[in-house]
Amino acid sequence: MFRLNLKIALRNLWKNKGYTLINVGGLAIGLASCMILLLYVAYEWSFDKQTSGYERTYVVYNNQKNGDHTVNFPWTPGVLADELRTKIPGITRASKSTYPAEHLISYNHQNFKKKAVFTDTAFLKIFDYKVLQGNRDQMLKNPNAVVLTQRMAKILFGNENPINKTVKIDGKEDLIVEGVIEDVPVTSSIQFDYLGSWAMFLKQNVWAQENEKNWGNNYCLTVLQIQDNSFFERVTAEIKGVYQRNQKENRNFASIHPISKWHLYNKFENGKSVGGKIDSLRIFLLLAFCILLIACINFMNLSTARSEKRAKEVGVRKAIGAARKSLIAQFMMESVLLAFFGMVVAFMLMEISLPYFNSILNTNLTINYKDWEFWSVLITLTLFTGLVAGSYPAFYLSSFNPVRVLKGFNLPGNSSLSIRKVLVVFQFVFAVCLIICTVVIYQQLNYVKNKPVGYNRAGLVEIPVEGRLLIGGKMKLLREQLLKSGAVTNASMFSTSLSRGGNNTSGVSWPGKNPKVDVLVNFRFAHYDFAATLGTKMVMGREFSPQYADSGKVIINETAVKVMSLSNPVGKVITWGGEKLTVIGVVKDFVMETPYQTVTPMIMMVNSTGDGEGVLVMRLNPTQSISASMQQITTLVKEMNPDFPVDATFLSDSFEAKFQNEKVLGILANWFGGFSIFISCLGLLGLSLFMAEQRRKEISIRKVLGASMMNILTLLNKDFVKLVAIANLIAFPLAYIMISQWLSAFEFRISISFIPFAIAIGLSLLIAFLTVSAQSVKVAKSNPIDALKYE
Amino acid sequence: MIELKNIEKYYANKGVKSYILRHVTTSIKQGEFISIMGPSGAGKSTLLNILGMLEEPTYGAYEFMGEDVVSLNERKRIELYRNHIGFVFQAYHLIDEMTVAENIEAPLLYKKVSGPERKSRVADVLDRFNMVAKKDLFPNQLSGGQQQLVGIARALVAQPSIILADEPTGNLQSPQALQIMELFKKLNEEENITIIQVTHSEVNAAYGSRILHLLDGVIKEDLAVPQGV
Repeated sequence: MFRLNLKIALRNLWKNKGYTLINVGGLAIGLASCMILLLYVAYEWSFDKQTSGYERTYVVYNNQKNGDHTVNFPWTPGVLADELRTKIPGITRASKSTYPAEHLISYNHQNFKKKAVFTDTAFLKIFDYKVLQGNRDQMLKNPNAVVLTQRMAKILFGNENPINKTVKIDGKEDLIVEGVIEDVPVTSSIQFDYLGSWAMFLKQNVWAQENEKNWGNNYCLTVLQIQDNSFFERVTAEIKGVYQRNQKENRNFASIHPISKWHLYNKFENGKSVGGKIDSLRIFLLLAFCILLIACINFMNLSTARSEKRAKEVGVRKAIGAARKSLIAQFMMESVLLAFFGMVVAFMLMEISLPYFNSILNTNLTINYKDWEFWSVLITLTLFTGLVAGSYPAFYLSSFNPVRVLKGFNLPGNSSLSIRKVLVVFQFVFAVCLIICTVVIYQQLNYVKNKPVGYNRAGLVEIPVEGRLLIGGKMKLLREQLLKSGAVTNASMFSTSLSRGGNNTSGVSWPGKNPKVDVLVNFRFAHYDFAATLGTKMVMGREFSPQYADSGKVIINETAVKVMSLSNPVGKVITWGGEKLTVIGVVKDFVMETPYQTVTPMIMMVNSTGDGEGVLVMRLNPTQSISASMQQITTLVKEMNPDFPVDATFLSDSFEAKFQNEKVLGILANWFGGFSIFISCLGLLGLSLFMAEQRRKEISIRKVLGASMMNILTLLNKDFVKLVAIANLIAFPLAYIMISQWLSAFEFRISISFIPFAIAIGLSLLIAFLTVSAQSVKVAKSNPIDALKYE
Repeated sequence: MIELKNIEKYYANKGVKSYILRHVTTSIKQGEFISIMGPSGAGKSTLLNILGMLEEPTYGAYEFMGEDVVSLNERKRIELYRNHIGFVFQAYHLIDEMTVAENIEAPLLYKKVSGPERKSRVADVLDRFNMVAKKDLFPNQLSGGQQQLVGIARALVAQPSIILADEPTGNLQSPQALQIMELFKKLNEEENITIIQVTHSEVNAAYGSRILHLLDGVIKEDLAVPQGV
């Protein structure tokens, strides 16, 4: 029975190739879209879940009052880890570590800038990376120890045994390799190439050494592991007041956040997790299933539309003794078979499109053919699709009364037609919503991108100050050489990258400040000609200049003026940590960390020697080519600092990178929106195909009676256009709600205009019209006698 | 075998009843070969459909093999189809996607006959109908007469006790029609299968043992056909 049914199903599919093609194509695109989105969701979901104790591992967050709200960040004082481990019961391990940062590592005169994390032994135990060589318990206890990842060891030593070899870090310290661990999985939030000891970090950073016991400085990541999650409440309660217990005037409080949620739930509002990346993941998940559903609806529509052809078979089978059950089973099998074909095609589509998606998503998604989970999801999905898609046709087709279909078939009333209409409307509601959302996402993205950032980022390049440039006035010298060479028209030093956040403090006070309120203020150090290099303006006063002695002077930004409510800022004195600073100028606000939020108040002090960590910001000479300028810059920098590779960043690129999330959302919405429209159109095409066939006789009679081609086209297209119009009407409020919700998360946002809606209705109607016309023109042009003579 | 009492069938349309069948009462015995005749619209097909339980009478009693079947549930009706009733249609109604052999095999599948027995019964029927060479062809590769032979073969393979045929030769040319009629007669005489056919043709009707003349839904005549004509 099964074999015969299978054989008949195959013959049926073969006989109606066009129909099979539309169906398999639709299902394949639906399944492939769904699988790619699921792969991506699974990838994001798997972040920070590779270690054995991940569900007991927490990241410590620092919650700091800033005006009337709380900001929080996973930066903590260095003393916190030991304090927590020894004082709070239930915490088995606590580690402190720096955030991954690139440091120069050299062996045998080969230099590499690779990501390092300085940490302690507990870190290696919490994140139990597989140790390939060495003894985990002893790692990083020696200040001059280094632990390499397999990849790093390979780069440095090739096939040699790395253990006990000596490498140099930052061109200064000799470190002994005491272990090799496996590479950090890509789905780990902490990505590094090698680990150094905490003691080494302190040795290299004098300020950190001086502040080791200071509870007011937040510069490291603290991760802790608790015995089991029954201690969670207790640890949360006890950890909260840890700052105040150790430093009376400290108003911060600590909280813990599960590391498994670190990646996805990364947004906080007033100390509470309010989602983050998980929101777009949910959107993708919804998108995945909606697209699949659309493909299923397609199938239902086409199958029921074809019912006239199948009805006779149903009637005959019933008359020769088929029970309804066996007919349902037969139709179900056909749809599962189609879903299976669709899946095979979907595989090809996935393999073709994955490299593209990987490049835009910045991921390395692959189909893991050896993974049983992958196969089980795949098979479940295929069966699910087959059963959902087949359910309605199976029950509908098997319900035919044999005598009615055998006597000459009349479609059982209009009920099936109206269900089909509802399904088409549903498909287009979804497609129209996606069009609107895509347009809005692009509008918003463009809006934020084109919002003035406060400085001219074109032709602005920065390189990190490192190695020999850090001390001895080398930086100042380099700057002069660069200016003289003509490669740059202006240059200045700044204590952090212009595209990143950095140091802030709540220790600044000003005349009239409420002492009970903490306000976070960014602080930076800048060299001369900073504003001129950036191409921004001084709103008031002047900037740092060699003509003056600028120690004890400060430049503040416009927001700082507003926050401090200084009416005539120049000449006012503010204090920071006991030091009195006189305001000499106000710089126009400029965007650094995120273009999505208002600029934070900032104070800038002078760095007249040019020494110390930070970046060199350069304005390229517009009269010569970029490559020539870059060539000159590279040569000069290399001359001065030969150990380090020159890594120059264009600020327009780093600015662009800040839109990655929204861009991904936009591109995905665009693609999958396009797919869902395409699938819906396939459905529409199929439907119009059968509608036209069904109405051939009617059309022929009309033609004989004198209807023109135009009359007939209108007749055939009217119904479909009406459906799409209804779909638009339903989709508008839905889309409106969705986009206002999405936009509400942005501080700077566009107001919703009629444009996306106009685009959606125009596009959907046009596409629907073209799709249906492709078919109806053919019918309208056919010779009426062909249809009439066989009646 | 079949008892019809006062069968009525009408469609109510805006309060006006249009009668298809009125007061049809008759009884049919095992082994009869009955032809239902009458002009178009007389209710012949409706009567046959009611006999085949494809339609329900509006009113009246119908006993099939001693069992009241007027309001039989679907499962029991399907049981009757599987075991006792074979249908032959004017338009043959073969399943286009199945080969001749598969078409014939289909009722046995639903009857859950075992594989080897299915094979042998299909082979047997094919042999009897001289269609062994055509068993792998599809219906649209056969002539009308051959398709109808397959239709009859399909009706017979489940070894029914009654065959209901709705103008079985309506779409055929006369030589083929005669062949089909000969076959029916042979089946009726040799295997004692009850046959009820609807026909327009006096010639065809003469093959049977009894003729029911319908006019406007009423049995006007119930004649025994003199044998040996």
